[in-house]
Amino acid sequence: MKQAITDGVEALMDYIMKNCLWQFNSRAWDRVEQNKNILEKATQIMCKEEVAKETPMERCYWAEAQTMVEEFLKKFPWLQTMDAGDIKEMMAGLKERLDYQTITGSLNQELKDPNY
Amino acid sequence: MKEKHIIFGAEKVLKDNIREAFKAFPHIKRMTIYQTCASALIGDDIEAVAQEIMDEMPEVDIFVCNSPGFAGPSQSGGHHKINIAWVNKKVGQVEPKITSDYVINYVGEYNIQGDQEVMTDYFKRMGIQVLSTFTGNGSYDDLRAMHRADLNVLECARSAEYICNELRKRYGIPRMDIDGFGFEPLASSLRKIGLFFGIEDRANAIIEAEIKRWQPELDWYKERLQGKRVCLWPGGSKLWHWAHVIHEEMGLEVVSVYTKFGHQGDMEKGISRCEVGALAIDDPNELEGVEAMYKLKPDLIITGKRPGEVAKKIRVPYLNAHAYHNGPYKGFEGWVRFARDIYNAVYSPIHQLAFLDISKDEIRTDQSFVTRKMLSDSQLSPDIVNSTVMREYTGEFDSLKHLRDATYPQFPLQGKLAAM
Repeated sequence: MKQAITDGVEALMDYIMKNCLWQFNSRAWDRVEQNKNILEKATQIMCKEEVAKETPMERCYWAEAQTMVEEFLKKFPWLQTMDAGDIKEMMAGLKERLDYQTITGSLNQELKDPNY
Repeated sequence: MKEKHIIFGAEKVLKDNIREAFKAFPHIKRMTIYQTCASALIGDDIEAVAQEIMDEMPEVDIFVCNSPGFAGPSQSGGHHKINIAWVNKKVGQVEPKITSDYVINYVGEYNIQGDQEVMTDYFKRMGIQVLSTFTGNGSYDDLRAMHRADLNVLECARSAEYICNELRKRYGIPRMDIDGFGFEPLASSLRKIGLFFGIEDRANAIIEAEIKRWQPELDWYKERLQGKRVCLWPGGSKLWHWAHVIHEEMGLEVVSVYTKFGHQGDMEKGISRCEVGALAIDDPNELEGVEAMYKLKPDLIITGKRPGEVAKKIRVPYLNAHAYHNGPYKGFEGWVRFARDIYNAVYSPIHQLAFLDISKDEIRTDQSFVTRKMLSDSQLSPDIVNSTVMREYTGEFDSLKHLRDATYPQFPLQGKLAAM
């Protein structure tokens, strides 16, 4: 299962980097919020847990997450065979990988600009 | 502006010109003034002139944007300035009439050959009120009311993310980045806007109908464009709007991406959406562009008019990424029109003739001219050539005509987001 989780992280990471735009907001602090909130909601959706979507910001994160998860399920049928524990482990790995790629390891110097 | 104005100032001339313009067009009460290099260098106080006119003519409103070219490294500096100036000076001044439970600002959309009309049609079919478009086909007073939207739907993040970010911070309006190009990205974008408002069923109905109508036509072109090599060299956002989806949905191989005024973030996005091996060039000069074309031997360059003309000189066909050839390119039908333009460029029989050098090549006189279809279909299997499902583009010459007298469903108002 370890290998499946590692492979899963790579597959989902490829999907996000190629098809999504939300991870590319222009400042590091903004990307931190986007990655955290959207991946947290995506994990909850995949684990069939309750998702908060009362405020406009929460609804926006949720809409991004829900659309992405629907695509994940279409493209990666193996997700259906994973239990909640494995999904959480995989999504934590995905967040770590995405934070590195788009924030901590990014060479984009504009991420540190104090202004928008 | 004449030499004496550069030396002694042009404020009086500007004031006279503003008065004259309002008198010449008495039904127009709004004006924008852009400060460019000459007026910025001589130090004219355009804001003060505009204010004096507004005091003199209370019914008019003037927006001044100080955006001289030298104030930034590229046109991108100007985008930033106008975004911030507008939100600082004008947003919040007009209270709009809200007619729907679902209200958006459509931001970073410039209505190239009708793109905005196509996208607005989808939104209206979903029962969404487009409060303002920043800025294509938008209106001055609608843009002063941007603070009343529920959601900012952002298309070109390069030029307009600043105003979305400010509206999010100042008014709590979320920013949702979308792709209006390509079947899948557009479908996904409409679906997520639908989800945000709880009307995803309306989005799904549109997506289903549009894909059913246009997929056979997109497939016709995809079969014929498979493996063709493309340099995707637009200005900013189309780099990442198109890089992945022309590969996925048209079968093209993007061998290079470049951007002239894109930021580091645009290169980040563009590169992440390319396949492995594509050459990314940041702000190349002409020589670098020519060198890349000789090295990569693309079948097509998708770029602006100026580099496009250079490409033609070395016999590489080009498509205008900025103003388009036969757009609109947004929307499902628009995407097929884009595929058709690419097909027409790649298989142009005239272009094939350009490879002949009449000073030394043999010019065959026993052959007739060929057609695009003869060139494109010669390598295809009979199953594809004779398919009864796939077909060439069958839309109208003017694909916008039917939108202009369209009627839209009236959905009963049910209360705002809190009621969901």
